[in-house]
Amino acid sequence: MSQEVVKFANSAGAWITASFIVILVIMQAILYARHAFKTAEKINLDKKVCNKAFKVGMVTSIGPVIAIFIVMVGLMAVIGGPMAWMRLSIIGAAPTELTAAQVGAEAIGVEFGGADYDLYALSVSWWTMAANGIGWLLFVGLFASRLEPIREKVSGNDAAWLAVITVAATLGAFGYLTSQHIVAGGGTLISAIVGAVVMVALGIAMEKMPKLRVLKEYSLGISMLVGVIMAVLLS
Amino acid sequence: MNKKEFHEVWSKPVIKIGRTTLLLSVLLSFVPVLYLYFTHGIFPELSTALKAWGMIASIFGAMYFVEPISYYPTLGLAGTYMSFLSGNIGNCRLPAAAMALDVTETESGTPEAEIVSTLGISGSIVINIIGTTLCAFIGAAVIKILPDVVVSALSTYTAPAIFGAMFGSFAMKNPKLAVFGMGIPVGIRLVAPQTPAYIIIISAVFGTILISRLFYNAEKKKAAK
Repeated sequence: MSQEVVKFANSAGAWITASFIVILVIMQAILYARHAFKTAEKINLDKKVCNKAFKVGMVTSIGPVIAIFIVMVGLMAVIGGPMAWMRLSIIGAAPTELTAAQVGAEAIGVEFGGADYDLYALSVSWWTMAANGIGWLLFVGLFASRLEPIREKVSGNDAAWLAVITVAATLGAFGYLTSQHIVAGGGTLISAIVGAVVMVALGIAMEKMPKLRVLKEYSLGISMLVGVIMAVLLS
Repeated sequence: MNKKEFHEVWSKPVIKIGRTTLLLSVLLSFVPVLYLYFTHGIFPELSTALKAWGMIASIFGAMYFVEPISYYPTLGLAGTYMSFLSGNIGNCRLPAAAMALDVTETESGTPEAEIVSTLGISGSIVINIIGTTLCAFIGAAVIKILPDVVVSALSTYTAPAIFGAMFGSFAMKNPKLAVFGMGIPVGIRLVAPQTPAYIIIISAVFGTILISRLFYNAEKKKAAK
């Protein structure tokens, strides 16, 4: 990668242009949280419950965000600080963004990050990352509101059945997300299994000993940590 | 408050906020490319832009539709708008929503659940943005201090541990369904490793829902007897 590219990809201007969307993400979260607090009052949902929910969301994310932090440092080295910051603050995980940046270079027959990766190649990489991300943004922006009527139709106003659908869909989603690590075997298999076992064990312990329930919001963090440590020790 | 009133009070503003922010984000996504154009006069040629777009869409295009539809039953309306703007759905948003419901002992599928999971997701987004912003400033320095083994362990094993733990947590709620939730995607990957991801995710989510219907009907019949 030429010095010109590295310099531009980390320039003050690039940081500023990347910041717009990061600010938008924070604004959206604040707007929704405010709307949720207001609506909670109207349906007599205790404010304490709302505060708790917000806090649990924060605590639960600390572990995963540490992992994102580390992956982002790697990404910064390849696509520059501003782009790594912008792309990892919105839809598209690091491997997706890397793929898009690379496909952009391939489209003009240049090796990604190679000697002939110039500003034009950079523009194609940036374009491709943006074009890829807006696929999700456009679909959800335009059609998410149509999904609720479908869910209602499928559930047929049967609250018990709707609850079952939710659990089934979530099991399928996490089954899918876990499956690639199960099949890969080795350390990732160990961390997935240990993570699951610790989480279930904590759940059972909390059912039997109500005193332990204060730990509930940390249970994902604990399971994650034990899973990672055991994977390192056993693989 | 009945369903219709809740829709007026909750869902309508949710849709308005969601649509506005998501469509705005589409425009803002291109600001860096435009910046390069305005400062250096460099912009992808039309044919190149379309070619690159086609190439990347052929890899991820199906996911644009499949992921929002598959995660919708878990995330709900506001959750979907938030999660697909901020990303990190499997490792941050879904766990944050699920844990918020779990800790506050809120029943899923209720209006309260919409609000509680929305707040859980908001909290997770705040931490997420703090994390990426900190990383932008001090990331490189922090990595230099950490031992290599810690860096590689965290970057390789965090995701599977989180996914496994969340799966375990939901498996406790319905162990019978858990067998299928994991069995379907693992089975497909073992039998036909070349299967594209979007087919695996659809089969896992909607296959498990379909099977849950069979169990649900059978239990209902039993209860009726």
